[in-house]
Amino acid sequence: MEIMRLIVTGTVGAGKSTFIRSVSEIEVVDTDTRATDETALLKQKTTVAFDFGRLQFGPDMALHLYGTPGQSRFDFMWDILICKGHAYILLIAAHRPREFRQARKILNFMKERVQIPMIIGLTHTDCPGAWSEEDVYLSIGYIDKEQRPPMIKVNPTQRESVAEAVITLVQRLMESCAV
Amino acid sequence: MSITGNFADFSLPELLQFLDQGKKTGLLQIEFSPEAAGNSTKHTHYIWLHQGRLMAAADRLDQQGLTLMIAQRGWISERVISRITQISSCFVNTPLGLCLKSQGLLQPEQLKLLFHSQVLRPICALFQAQDGLFKFEPTLALPLGEMTGLSMCASEVILISLRALRDWRTLEEKLPDPTSGLSSLIGKQLPMQLNAQEWQVWEFVNGQVSLEQIANQLGISVKTIQQIAFRLIVIGLAEEHFMVANLPTPMMEEPISESTFTGSVPEPTQRSNVSQSFLKNLVGFLRTKAA
Repeated sequence: MEIMRLIVTGTVGAGKSTFIRSVSEIEVVDTDTRATDETALLKQKTTVAFDFGRLQFGPDMALHLYGTPGQSRFDFMWDILICKGHAYILLIAAHRPREFRQARKILNFMKERVQIPMIIGLTHTDCPGAWSEEDVYLSIGYIDKEQRPPMIKVNPTQRESVAEAVITLVQRLMESCAV
Repeated sequence: MSITGNFADFSLPELLQFLDQGKKTGLLQIEFSPEAAGNSTKHTHYIWLHQGRLMAAADRLDQQGLTLMIAQRGWISERVISRITQISSCFVNTPLGLCLKSQGLLQPEQLKLLFHSQVLRPICALFQAQDGLFKFEPTLALPLGEMTGLSMCASEVILISLRALRDWRTLEEKLPDPTSGLSSLIGKQLPMQLNAQEWQVWEFVNGQVSLEQIANQLGISVKTIQQIAFRLIVIGLAEEHFMVANLPTPMMEEPISESTFTGSVPEPTQRSNVSQSFLKNLVGFLRTKAA
């Protein structure tokens, strides 16, 4: 079975779970797992949670989608997920400037850990107070226009929109594999 | 396109950094409700920027703020300033401060003092304000009557104002985590002058040492180190660097609640390359979904 693992990360309320749900062929799994090592001895119940979705498109081909944990702190679970991912999409809610700083933190964390193709998915662009694409780029630290990753508007509730976003990301991956 | 928000969402230092990095030109309007302003009327501040540089600030739009400041200091009367602006041709396209300087009525040092009082001091006070609403409107029109002719890039204003800040409560939640480190965003050449403590922290900007450890090594409180780190971050010199604790990676075991699952979640295995044919098939399949 050939599998591509796509990481869906982003800020609070940007639509990570909805994004995965819109394209997954299975009911999205919200995991809630216990640690079984020494950590468990120190802390009876170490809870980590992430979303999982799957899209099988051939007898031996599947896309797996992993949503990063909801909590703001980066922990081992982030490492587990992103170190195995082939590409990732960072979802940012355009109408929540409060979260831009967190988006920047996520970007830094990802850049430190992995060098894999990525795109930015801008959600809630039609909400009042939504910032423009250019301003969101700036606020998350992409000043040089030449160094920016692609940013696309995405509506996580619409399967077509999510599919378009995933296509864009897969195409980025194709380009990077071709190099 | 105008940008709106409030300080709870986007603090003023972050906003100024954004305007600086975007080389924005326009009018930043900051509004406080009567409750927040501590009086019965709404209080509004205006800050003019050109290419990310702060040109002037006032709490009025009639271009009389600078004139009043000069008159209150007893340097030139309002009547004289009014007369000069009427008869002098230089005021047509020159900031009031420079115009008065060219007439020999103000000295360079006086202009510096005016800029400090007009821009730096109020902005430092605004950093402590809560519940402010802001609106940035791009506009090329600059208020010559409010301008000293001096300007400062927003990053410098942020640095100076944050150094002077005593009450950090409004920025508390913006401070980097004590367990994080710092990594540099610039080359060897620092674009601005750091003070002694900032230099000490800058020595540790290598992504290897947490703020807690820096505090220990320097014998400075963690809170102070966080504040210095925030300064370095918000002026674009450094970035927060996250250090995941070196805990042993836990094994996944069976989910706690089986009922919530429709299937088991595969733990991501080692990343292996995906073939071009796989990716082409995936794109083809997704196109049917996107259609």
